[in-house]
Order: sequence, then structure tokens, then C-alpha cells
Amino acid sequence: MSESHEALPEQRAWMTLLQKAGAPVVSVLIAIGIGSLIMWISGYDAGAAFAALFKGSLGSPKAFGDTLLRATPLMFTGLAVAYGFRAGLFNIGAEGQLFMGGLAAAYLGVRLGGLSPAVALPAVLVAAMAAGAAWAFVPALLKARIGAHEVITTMMFTYIGKYIVSWLVVGPLKAPGQIPQTEMIGASAQLPRIQSLFSDAALQSLPILKLGRGHMGIFVALLFAVVVWLILKYTTLGYENRAVGFNPWAAENAGISVPSTIVKSLCISGALAGLAGAVEVMGVHHRIFDQFSPGFGFTGIAVALVAKNHPLGVIPAALLFGAMSAGSGTMQLEADVPQKIVLIIQALVIFLIAAESVVQWFIQKRQKEALARAR
Amino acid sequence: MLGDIITPDLFASALRMATPLALAAIGGTICERSGVVNIALEGIMLTGAFAGAAVTLATGNPWVGVLAAVLAGVAIAAVHAFASINLRADQVVSGTGINIFALGLTGFLMERLYGHPGTTDPVKMIRPLISLPKTPEGLFGEVLRWLEVIFLSHTPIVYAAVLIAVVAQWALYRTRWGLRLRSLGEHPKAADTVGISVYRGRWAAVLMSGALAGLAGANLVIEQVGSFTENMTNGRGFIALAANIFGRWTPAGSYLASLLFGFADALQIKLQMLRGQIDIPPQFFLMLPYVLTVIVLAGVIGRAVAPAAVGQPYEKG
Repeated sequence: MSESHEALPEQRAWMTLLQKAGAPVVSVLIAIGIGSLIMWISGYDAGAAFAALFKGSLGSPKAFGDTLLRATPLMFTGLAVAYGFRAGLFNIGAEGQLFMGGLAAAYLGVRLGGLSPAVALPAVLVAAMAAGAAWAFVPALLKARIGAHEVITTMMFTYIGKYIVSWLVVGPLKAPGQIPQTEMIGASAQLPRIQSLFSDAALQSLPILKLGRGHMGIFVALLFAVVVWLILKYTTLGYENRAVGFNPWAAENAGISVPSTIVKSLCISGALAGLAGAVEVMGVHHRIFDQFSPGFGFTGIAVALVAKNHPLGVIPAALLFGAMSAGSGTMQLEADVPQKIVLIIQALVIFLIAAESVVQWFIQKRQKEALARAR
Repeated sequence: MLGDIITPDLFASALRMATPLALAAIGGTICERSGVVNIALEGIMLTGAFAGAAVTLATGNPWVGVLAAVLAGVAIAAVHAFASINLRADQVVSGTGINIFALGLTGFLMERLYGHPGTTDPVKMIRPLISLPKTPEGLFGEVLRWLEVIFLSHTPIVYAAVLIAVVAQWALYRTRWGLRLRSLGEHPKAADTVGISVYRGRWAAVLMSGALAGLAGANLVIEQVGSFTENMTNGRGFIALAANIFGRWTPAGSYLASLLFGFADALQIKLQMLRGQIDIPPQFFLMLPYVLTVIVLAGVIGRAVAPAAVGQPYEKG
């Protein structure tokens, strides 16, 4: 950074941009590089793997629909984790809140399925938010009152929540039949597929609209990204959230109640994670079962970090991880590379952004090289 | 009914179940006493478990497997140390990255090495140290049998964990090394001023926690379960962190707290085996250790004080 005053003005501009948005992007690139190295060492063809990953995520309208499908819950979990981070809280347990949100959606979706969609859809979404918030409430209270670390408590609540769902789907809420799952939710509580908006003729003439399984939940997610951004930027609620995250002592001195902000922040975070479960139930599975989330709550951590905890940054970050998630199946099928490599890349991204100085060092080295060339 | 639950085997099982938790918790204690938070215990334990299983399968020698588990734990911990100490990373977030990395890597290697996800072939296990001698008839014999089952039926790492707890307690509170280590977690600047190397001390502590969490993984696979399953640690690293807090950041306290959680786990397993007689869904028993962890944390914090500088990166001045 000390070099930057020597740079030419136009260079300075792109350098600031690189420094602001660069660390996450560079982290993702380094992570993909290390992932390729791991594949190469293990004797896999990394080139073929990424080609298949691309094909399965962006290679066709249907594949892009799958990317949207996966990005939808990730936007919500990413927003959830980011909102907590902005108050200095690490909601590692978004997965558990997601399960409870999904459970609420599956339960109410069956019961409200007969109403009109205009009533059923918002009602189910609100119920899922309430369930997610409720699941974050006890960890929030423990954090605010006695300082119990939210990383441990939300994690414990994730396990508890998953066991509750796994009990309900074999027990009281089990649908008739062999498979441990709940009954299918009513049609009016389902989020329709995007392509159902268009007529057959339109789909025939514009095949790009054939987005396969991609559903309307993505628009709900985009809406919420904007809403969370507005809350953080323009409301007292958001201001307090940021103030506590920035410096709790200063916030306390300025008259903000830190404990109450902590409770609100974690509960809002839980509500957003609950929506992730809801869109999975309402848009994809139409019911809940044991393993209905492949760890969207945990991937949300990577999404939030890549977004630098900015609600609008969550959108591209969720699309990125959604694409990786959507393409990983094709990768396993066609390049024979275990899907787990995607998890490894995600983990590396989280690690690299946490250890930002290594990425900063990398960027600064690049800048020095660029400067040397410019002279 | 109660007689079916309260058996010597229940207490022996509690001691067994407490062992991986205690090893990781003591690792966490040492690490946090030096000023570094180790959220990565879960991932280190999982990596140790996998390395233990893979090497035991490859060599047929479970002791080589234990060694591999410890070394794998140290290797992963080195990454955590480098990030936390040298790069001054956010320790909780980088630890989370390591946890997810461990989950991905073990799953990836599992498919690479064995061609399928899920569970490995059974590994050669380490057996209990001694075979229990016969006890005489009568009340005295019954008491003797209880004591034998509870205290003498165990595998080596179970006893090693007790020894490690005692030694670590002594080392932290009765040696110059321990005093110095604790000073790093309370006031690293002061320690640095009097010539104690903060980086070296913290590195040693993090690597030790890696070795202990790796050993915990070895215990799980090679002494308890007999095979590796993806994500088999199932939150034990986080429960170990809670045990460390409940044990007030002392090795002995960590061990005793782990006994409590181990007992919850043992009870849970015992109750599941009696499912025919108790009409409660097994998921409620499976929840028990996690619920207990929350209750314990709710009851204890505020009265337990963490090392003052824990989680704060130290910049050499």
C-alpha cells in the first residue's frame, strides 16, 4: 500500500478497486488453483473436471437453471451469516435454522396448501422466518446475557434441529409409504418454476428460457438481498447492528444496548437462514426429509466472506458457489472427480479470506510488478 | 429397568466416550491458554481419525495408525498456527475453514483411495490392555467385578488420556514452561517484554493441541469404532471446546467435564439399546450430548473466565 502514492492516477483507481473487491476474488482464484493441484496430485484430470463443472453449471439454460436453484438458498444463508458478521457475531449454525425454517414450511405448506397462493406463499415464508429466528433465539440470549460463544451454541442447536427433523419425518409427520419424508405441500404453497411463466410457444422460440428446475425463489432471494442492504444502510436497526459489530464499547457508550442488538441480530440472521430452508421445501423438494440440505448453511459462511459481508455482494457470491454446487454432479459423472473437491475449494476460500494478509501480500506483489512495468 | 441401565458397563462406556472429548478438550485448553482459539479441533480430530484408519488399513499395524493420526493432527494444526499466529487471521473463521476443509479432504481421499463414500473397511483395532480376571462369588466379588469393568477394561489411549490430563495440569501450573505459556494468553506484550517468544510459545501450544486432537481421532477409529465414517466426529470437537470452558480452561477440569459429556453419550447409547422397553424415539437420546452442552454452557459462563488475550493475534512490536 505504501507504493500507491507513487502510482499514476488511473493506476491508483484500479488498484483501490482491486484492493477493495480484489481479496475475495483472488482468494477464490487461489482456492481453485489449490483445488486443481489437489486433483492433479490425486491423479485426476483437473482440466476435464472444470470443463464438466462449467458444463453442469453454465453450459446450457437447464444447467444455468440448476445454478439458480442452488444459488437461491445460498443467498439466504449468505445473507444470514453476513448480517450476523456485521454485528460481530458468527452464526455458524445457519444450517440448523435452515432445517427449522424448512420444517415450518413443510408443515404449514401442507395445511395452507388449499388457500390461494397470495395468502399461502407469504404465510409460509413468514412462518419459516419465525422458525429460523426462534432457533437462533436461545443462542442469542445466551450470548447477550452471559457471553456463551455463539459458535458452540448455534452448532449444538444445529445438531439438535437436525435430530428433531429426522425424528419428525419418521414419526409424527411421516407421509404414508416407505420413505421417511413429510407429505407433499399444497400446490399454492409451492414456488413455481421460472419457465412456467412462459407459454410453450415462447419456450419453443426462445430455448434460453428453458431454465429447467430453476424456481421463483431466486427472485425472493434477490428481493431480500436488497431489503437487507436497505436495512443495514438506512435504518436504526441496521445502524445499531453495524455499530455493535464495529466497536461494541463505543456503541454502548453511544447509548445502544449491546445485548438487545445481539439478540436482534442473531434472530434476524436465523430468520434469513430459515428462508433458505423454506425455498428448498417450496421450490425444490416440496416436502422435508432427513438430508434435504447438502450443507447450505455452512456454504453460506463462504458466501458471506466472499461478499465481504455486503448484502448485495452476496448475490454474485451465491451464484458462484451455486454454480460450483450445481456443476459438481456433472463433474463427478463425467470427469470421475469426487464432488467433495467443491467442499475443499469452499473451505480454502473461507480460510484464505480469514487469513487475508496472505492474499494482500499476493496482491501487493502483483502491484509492485505492475508498477515496475509501468516505470 | 433401572438395573438394566445402571450397570458397570455404563460407567466403563462413559470413560471410553469421554476419552476423545477429553484429549481434544485438553488440547483446546493448552491452545487457548497460549492465546489461540482452536475452533478447528473438530476438523483436526476428523483428519486424525481418517489418517489413523487409512494407515492402519495400509500397514495392518494399528500403532502405526495412531502415530499417523497424531502426525496428521499436527500437520493440520500447523496450518492453523501459521494462519492464527503469523498471518494474524481471524482465528474462528480460519478454524471454520479448516473444519470444512477436513470434511472435504477426508471425503475426497476416501473416494480416491477406496472408490466409495461412506465407511471404510474395518481396521485392525487396539484391544483392551488386560483381559479381566474372574471374580469370586458373593457381594465382594460383585463389587470387584464392577471395579474391574469400570477401571480395568480399557484400551491404552483411554489410560493415556488420564495420564495426559494429570501431566498437563502439572505442567501448566507447576512448571516454568506452564507459567510462560499462560502468560502468552493473558498478556502477550508483557511476556514479549521479558523475553518470552510469543510466536514460538503459541506455535508449540497449537501443535500440541493438534497432536492431542489427532490422538482423539485415533482413539475413535482404532479403539472404539473400528472403521472410519465420513464426518464421524459429529460435533465432538465443539463439545470438547465446551468441556474446556466448563473445565475453566484447566486440563483436569477439561477431563472431568468430558467425563460428564461422556456419561451423557454412554447413557444415550444404553437407552437406545433398551428401545423395546422405553417408548421414546432414539433421536431424543442422540440429542442428549448436544442439549447437555448448551445447558452446561448456559450455567457456567460468567463464572468461568477465559484467558484475557485469547483470540487476539499478537503483532511483534
